[in-house]
Amino acid sequence: MSLFAFAGALETGFLFSLVALGVYLSFRVLAFPDLTVDGSFPLGAAVAVAAIVKGVDPFVATAGAAAAGAFAGSVTAFLSVRLRIMNLLAGILTMVALFSINLRIMGRPNLPLQGNDSVFDRFGRLGDFGLWNNVILLGLVAVGAKLLVDWFLRTEIGLALRASGENPAMAEAQGVNNSAMVYLGIAISNALVALAGALFAQAQGVADVSMGVGTIVTGLAALIIGEALFRRKTVFLGTLGCIAGGLAYRLFVAATLSLGFIQAQDLNLVTAVIVAAAVVMSQSQRLGIAKGLLSRLFSPRIGDRANAASE
Amino acid sequence: MRILRAIFAATLLAASATAASSQDKPKIGLTYIVEHPAIDAVRDGILEGLAKAGYKDGETASIVIRSAQGNMATQAQIANEFSGLDLDLAIAISTPSAQALKNALKDEPLLFAAVTDPVGAGLIASMAQPGGNVTGTSDRQSFEPTLQLIRKMLPEAKRIGVIFNPGEANSVSQVEALKAAVVPYGMEVVDGPAAQSTLVGDAARSLVGRVDAILLPTDSTVVSVVESIVTVGKKARLPVFASDTGSAERGALAALGFNYFDMGKMTAEMAVKILKGENPDAIPAAVPAGQDIYLNLPSAKAMGVDIPHDLRSAAKKVIE
Amino acid sequence: MLHLNDVHVTFNPGTATEVRALRGIDLQVSSGDFVTVIGSNGAGKSTLLSAIVGTARPDRGTIRLGDRDVTAWNACRRASEVGRVFQDPRLGTCGSLSIEENLALAARRGKRRSFSAALSGSRQRASFSEKLAPLGLGLEARLSTPIGLLSGGQRQAVSLLMATLLPMKILVLDEHTAALDPAVAARVLQLSKEIAENDGLTVLMVTHSMGDALAFGSRTIMMDRGIVALDLSSEDRSKLDVPALLALFGKAVGRTVDSDQMLLSR
Repeated sequence: MSLFAFAGALETGFLFSLVALGVYLSFRVLAFPDLTVDGSFPLGAAVAVAAIVKGVDPFVATAGAAAAGAFAGSVTAFLSVRLRIMNLLAGILTMVALFSINLRIMGRPNLPLQGNDSVFDRFGRLGDFGLWNNVILLGLVAVGAKLLVDWFLRTEIGLALRASGENPAMAEAQGVNNSAMVYLGIAISNALVALAGALFAQAQGVADVSMGVGTIVTGLAALIIGEALFRRKTVFLGTLGCIAGGLAYRLFVAATLSLGFIQAQDLNLVTAVIVAAAVVMSQSQRLGIAKGLLSRLFSPRIGDRANAASE
Repeated sequence: MRILRAIFAATLLAASATAASSQDKPKIGLTYIVEHPAIDAVRDGILEGLAKAGYKDGETASIVIRSAQGNMATQAQIANEFSGLDLDLAIAISTPSAQALKNALKDEPLLFAAVTDPVGAGLIASMAQPGGNVTGTSDRQSFEPTLQLIRKMLPEAKRIGVIFNPGEANSVSQVEALKAAVVPYGMEVVDGPAAQSTLVGDAARSLVGRVDAILLPTDSTVVSVVESIVTVGKKARLPVFASDTGSAERGALAALGFNYFDMGKMTAEMAVKILKGENPDAIPAAVPAGQDIYLNLPSAKAMGVDIPHDLRSAAKKVIE
Repeated sequence: MLHLNDVHVTFNPGTATEVRALRGIDLQVSSGDFVTVIGSNGAGKSTLLSAIVGTARPDRGTIRLGDRDVTAWNACRRASEVGRVFQDPRLGTCGSLSIEENLALAARRGKRRSFSAALSGSRQRASFSEKLAPLGLGLEARLSTPIGLLSGGQRQAVSLLMATLLPMKILVLDEHTAALDPAVAARVLQLSKEIAENDGLTVLMVTHSMGDALAFGSRTIMMDRGIVALDLSSEDRSKLDVPALLALFGKAVGRTVDSDQMLLSR
């Protein structure tokens, strides 16, 4: 792997750790399988690039993109909470609708930056970081987001959100408005993902309407790999896992692309194997990895950790 | 609720009824898989060619135009619609549209445009003798001119990186053709596959240090985010060549591509022949003769390539 | 304190599966009363609790807490006035949160939650320790332990504490010892009694054990098929044992009921 590819992997690793943070909030904390992200990632890209091309300051445009993501999340929450549409379906509906909306925002299937300044160009004026310009800025953003999420989940509202996701009946008995928590959590989650999309588009120079396909898979892969790395389930380690998982995943992608004999079409299969291995590893805490693997192979018990994916 | 259903049904009925227009004007159906600069150019070329030959929608002909909005199911629906319209000629731009129409139209005359491999796509028996009710224009590239261009600008280049979507049949066949074409030049091809647009940047980065230049086939996944490759090319001083002229405007240092508008006009010429009574079987499928050279000077500078003067004058368009 | 007036609760009204769970409940509970609720299968005990807590909306009748009409209030809103302990120890606490986080959550019940830190430092921790110590379970030394690691009895004890952390109009105990083994159940019941006495709480406790119903509290009501069949003050109760209670009940509802039926009831 060239230094170039390594820097690129760190770049996209930090970017997708933002997605992983968003997915952590929805899937893990709120127990809400949210597929909106496949739509809010390109939404962030579309809003940011469309705004920049019209002359808006790139930082303002990026913030606007995050706000757009929050709005998309609230729509999904509305569908789920108010209209009582099953949460998985609610996310899908918003995601599908966003495809058309993103096309409208850009006015065309893909929209390049056309020489306008991106946040990376502005950052580059602070100093000559060379190859590492984007990596540094993105690293700062990712760590900043992680610390923000950590802080948030430790506030009274954040604690209520965590309770709401894990035990809605108990949360309600403690006076927590579960509906409000869904709105808040899904909005923040999609704001993070849209932010990632905005930064991704600025890094590569173009926003494309189909760039959201597979965002949820990447986010989940990063999240699960991170959980396999850090066993204990505290908030601090959970969010750290998002960053570590994002970096690990993208480094892995870059490595396999550099090897040459594993083609991109094999990448999906390899991703599946890695994620499955990570899930198994993270679930056999007490038994040790090998034992855990064997015990799962030879004694599948229905009801015994039946729905592993929801844990 | 019942009233709503009745209104809905009535609207559907009315809509399908208006599709059957008057019988005396020639009826032409035109469809394409998605809006896209190249496809749009072909469509415009076809319409202008037809108009010049005397077939203008609304006046001397009836031309039904349908976009499938990137959706294969919609394309199949359009094909069904066309088969019920009793068309004098159906025209399909792009491979998936052509295949859908061939399936639905059975024996009616069908013209395809901008299909990279019409024989491989099952549309015709051979380019010279299509054998059936189908013929048309193809944008199958010979990579010869492009390789000559590369050789001229980079005499020392040995390894050419190709970024493409391995899930797109057209791209895979282009890459295979390229691998055969580079042999006499003493070059070899390095694969840079990217299954989705978010991986294109990664693929470009993986080629840095492993190749002397990047060449992009006409691949919609890659072309949609060509800027991401250009960004890498400029940073790493790695020359990027493309096979569609639009990409040069978006940053590739040089592109040798078909003029899709002219291809549209060429297709229109064939259309006119068929409308005048010729059998598609008798019209060989064709590839446009020349390609346009587009050059992007700022990109060339950033990628560390000096473009010789004679090339600049031979170019159709030079971007400063 | 608690006034139920002709409360009716019907599930799936107008369909083939319609269930009239409460068919006209009139109940007055004074401040400081400790009422035990008992009844046979399908008597409506859990629906009664649901109506009070806010998870089941009455189709007829009113519910008042103190001087407020809370009939239209949802469960979230009623949480400010009602403390609740669930039957399932896992439902009353959040397993992945620590003891102090659970307590901190309970400390904001009924209040507006803000962005200030939920765990606010040593003063709060000291106050929690103070409240946990009397439970006698050593939990005050394990404030940062995730609650999921505690036993059912310990979790139920913490639930009890959480429900009574802040002042409330009424404490609802929903068969809260049913899932515990006998020794632990006895301990938790004892705790419930102590806390109720110390804080002068108004308590409504549903239990499946007739013995417990008679031994605890100051009043016992027996439900049958959606109505209150028997309402016994502490004087009436003091003379009864379980068989006598059953006989009294059988007379009131017009059929014989044996203790097995009661035991298996939910």
